[in-house]
Amino acid sequence: MFDLPIEGAQLMALEFGDIVDYFSVYTGTLFVFALLFTVLAIVSLPEKPMDIVFGGDAYYTKDIPLDLLRFQRFMAIACGLATLGAMASGDIFNFTLFSSMIGITNIGIVAAVRNRHVLEAAFQYGIVAMVATVPLFGGAAIVLASTGTLSIWALAGAAAVPLLAKIFLVLGVMGEGMAPFYIGKAEITRAPGAPYVLMIHVSSLLLFLRVVEIVLTV
Amino acid sequence: MIISRISRILAGYENLSLLYAVLVIAGIVIGFTSIPGIVYHGDDLYPKTIDRSSALDPYDRGGEPFGNTSVAAQYPENSPYLGYVTAYLTPFSQFLADTTSHLGTTIVSHPGGIIDEILYNTRGLDTVVETSILFTAFAIASFLFRRREG
Repeated sequence: MFDLPIEGAQLMALEFGDIVDYFSVYTGTLFVFALLFTVLAIVSLPEKPMDIVFGGDAYYTKDIPLDLLRFQRFMAIACGLATLGAMASGDIFNFTLFSSMIGITNIGIVAAVRNRHVLEAAFQYGIVAMVATVPLFGGAAIVLASTGTLSIWALAGAAAVPLLAKIFLVLGVMGEGMAPFYIGKAEITRAPGAPYVLMIHVSSLLLFLRVVEIVLTV
Repeated sequence: MIISRISRILAGYENLSLLYAVLVIAGIVIGFTSIPGIVYHGDDLYPKTIDRSSALDPYDRGGEPFGNTSVAAQYPENSPYLGYVTAYLTPFSQFLADTTSHLGTTIVSHPGGIIDEILYNTRGLDTVVETSILFTAFAIASFLFRRREG
């Protein structure tokens, strides 16, 4: 696997029974990015959004309730941990599980915001993330049925995975992480609560980079 | 012209599910070309036989608890105790399995129903992540539900 141009050298392997996580130069870089943003979500203080009234001197600050803030931080950290798992995973089914966890924590980050506009966008996002589990897990099922294994180590370079499974995996990640549908994201990130809300962007971007690596490897 | 029309559709988040549906249909249409090339791989890594007469049906994988049952695994060297706890039942579950023939239907609803080597040992991380997804979903639902009181 590590002789493929996309991977780079092998840095480390972590064994969890049949699921053997790996860190190549590529996935290791993504992992470090995810780790960095998770640490940022843990240590940073939330923003205090300020609205300036147009055409005047008046301004007012938005008050974010403490319980909402704590919940958002909890979800942002959970999202970061799911991203860490998805970056290092060496198993197709394990990767799809972490992807769907990223999808659900992304909804969780904005679910409690009291803003009609944000919630409507999050609702649309939620429907797509829910439907996307069908191609996502369907892709993993086709991989197991047609090759008899799920380990990326065994599948790497063999080109045994059918095109349909690869398309399903990419479609599933597109739905969970919303990588190309940035309009849904742009509306969602109007929610107050940076830097926790930014975790949505980071996780989906990293997830999409990872699925590209998997599709090119298997 | 056509670009501005497309970008107008893409700019509305109400069209998100429509857009995703179009993408999925396009993916299926393209992927259909590879269907004749997909061959079922009978030599599966996680084989399963179904014994309809067993009390543990459909979860019965056979084997003897605390013995050396042979269990298929991708990397047996990572699971030194492979085959050790297959088909272990707690005394209560053993009692249910002996007296009724429906333990297989309740297997997930009581603790220690069956310890499946593949689920809990060789693919244990999957079990952990699945439970975490459920836990996250419950955390979101309970936060939203309890907030209504205040």
